[in-house]
Amino acid sequence: MSQQLPIILFLLPLFAAISMPVVCLRHRHWSHRISVVILALMVLVSIANLYNVIEHGEVRYMFSGWVAPLGIEWVADGLASIVLVLLSVLGFLGAVFAGSTAPKALGGRIVHYYTLILLLISAMVGIVFTRDLFNLFVFLEVAAIASYALIGVAGGRALFAAFRYLVLGTLGASLYLLGVSYLYAVTGTLNMADMADKLPYLISSKAVVGGLLFMFIGLGIKMALVPFHSWMPEAYTYAPSSTTPILASLVTKMALLAWVRIIFWVLSASIAIYDIPILLIVEVIGALAAVIGASLALAQRNIKMIFAYGGISHIGIILIGIGQGNQTGFAGGIFYLLNDAVMQAALFFLAGVAFHHYGVKTIEDMARVGKQAPWLTVSLIIVGLGMIGLPPTGGFFGKWYIILGALDEGNYVSVAAVLLSTLLTLAYFVKLFEGIFRQMSTPSEVKYSEIPFAFKLTLGVTSAAILILGLLSAPIVQLILSQALPPGL
Amino acid sequence: MVDSLISIFQRPNFLTFVIIFLWGFYIMVTRYNLVKKLIGMYLVQTSVIFFLVSISAKKGATVPVLLSTTDPVQAANYANPLPHVMTLTAIVVGVATTGVGLALCAAIYRKYGSLDEQEILEKLE
Repeated sequence: MSQQLPIILFLLPLFAAISMPVVCLRHRHWSHRISVVILALMVLVSIANLYNVIEHGEVRYMFSGWVAPLGIEWVADGLASIVLVLLSVLGFLGAVFAGSTAPKALGGRIVHYYTLILLLISAMVGIVFTRDLFNLFVFLEVAAIASYALIGVAGGRALFAAFRYLVLGTLGASLYLLGVSYLYAVTGTLNMADMADKLPYLISSKAVVGGLLFMFIGLGIKMALVPFHSWMPEAYTYAPSSTTPILASLVTKMALLAWVRIIFWVLSASIAIYDIPILLIVEVIGALAAVIGASLALAQRNIKMIFAYGGISHIGIILIGIGQGNQTGFAGGIFYLLNDAVMQAALFFLAGVAFHHYGVKTIEDMARVGKQAPWLTVSLIIVGLGMIGLPPTGGFFGKWYIILGALDEGNYVSVAAVLLSTLLTLAYFVKLFEGIFRQMSTPSEVKYSEIPFAFKLTLGVTSAAILILGLLSAPIVQLILSQALPPGL
Repeated sequence: MVDSLISIFQRPNFLTFVIIFLWGFYIMVTRYNLVKKLIGMYLVQTSVIFFLVSISAKKGATVPVLLSTTDPVQAANYANPLPHVMTLTAIVVGVATTGVGLALCAAIYRKYGSLDEQEILEKLE
């Protein structure tokens, strides 16, 4: 039974998604309940899977019984299982949140809306587990197509943002596929472990270098890495509030995770291409992304835009951690990835509540309702502490381990980049807080009603999770160090 | 110079791939009409699929079904099925993406009454 847990985790949302249009044909209001129940089940199964992996070691699942290099292989190792718990918890919260905020204009199409959310989550489960490069491409595209549709659902400006995302995302996917076919032409295999055995002898081949370059650019577009980030802020700003938490916290992180898989599991940490260590490139790109993303966030007025650019800069910080090439840096990077996903979810829940319940879009509006919105203000303060990286939150410990890793390697540029992006983050949150607390504008006369339970639950759980990740940072980092390290690090 | 030119023409499949890919990319970048952008995107996808097919083509090979169960298997007689399977999957993915793209185009046209990127951007201001 425990051998089947990975595939159960994938099939739960997939089957629910496929059967949803039939089951909910007559009773469209069931769709929300069904997806919440399925995702709650997924949370339980993913925790069972993590426990099983910690107790009995990694689970290898061969599809149809075909052994690894021939068939498609899924591996539930420590890293995948930890990320999967995060994925299902955030997916569950996202579905709960969607109940009160799903676009009213959808009417009967609300069923398809939940179908797409479940499809997106099942595709991301596939991205996390798969050890086959082509399989990874298919899941990336399923996740991407579901996200295009989920962003476009809002209509209006979102349509145009979704179209841009579609064009760029497809270009990224094509480049990734091109890279995979280069590597396939050279090595004759698609399995990650098998390719890892064959690549070291071929690393100077132009086809391998070109293939890796195409793959990295393709995945870079998918994860909104700095030179290729232009699709992301608009898409996440105009997308319906009910979907942005899932999209912003998970989709880009899963592409990042695929990148980590390729760098550490297909290549190896010490590999150098034409005498340039590959991790040095990761680290430099990460430093650029961290600083540029945060500076762009400082220039925005719309709160969703600020949060989206903040997400871009945090992708950079994760990459700095990953790129150090030692255990502390890697564990810090992965720990920061968990934190960042929770913080992005919290930020977009917050923006969603602010927009739906209080009609707030910009910093100035935020000042209007500040006094009347205790849940909003308190959770904004907690998320703000996490994003800046102050001690009781998980954000602080993530950055702490990343900086420790960088100091071990003597990479003072990385340390400087992390600190600079922290300062810039501080600056844009000060801007937000100043808007709320300085009372420049007159407080709103409108009396707002109490916010619904779903909003309280999502804001409460994510804010608590930010603090809990901070308090439990030592055991979680220990878990990553003992279970989730890549081979040869 | 001449040598490098000759070496390019010795691999006509690569050359075709590069031409289709860059052509599609050029259309995607330079055209303002959204449907034309989609056409360029589809050309890019098709060029990658073409590349996959061309690297797996094999002269004198047949479908990967054993000709005889008694003789020892000669791998050289059979075509490798894997790239073709990948091609089929990639075509399906491409069709799905184009479908979503066209649906978005239709919705944009209904909303803004135009498919020209610059006109839409003006209306967005």
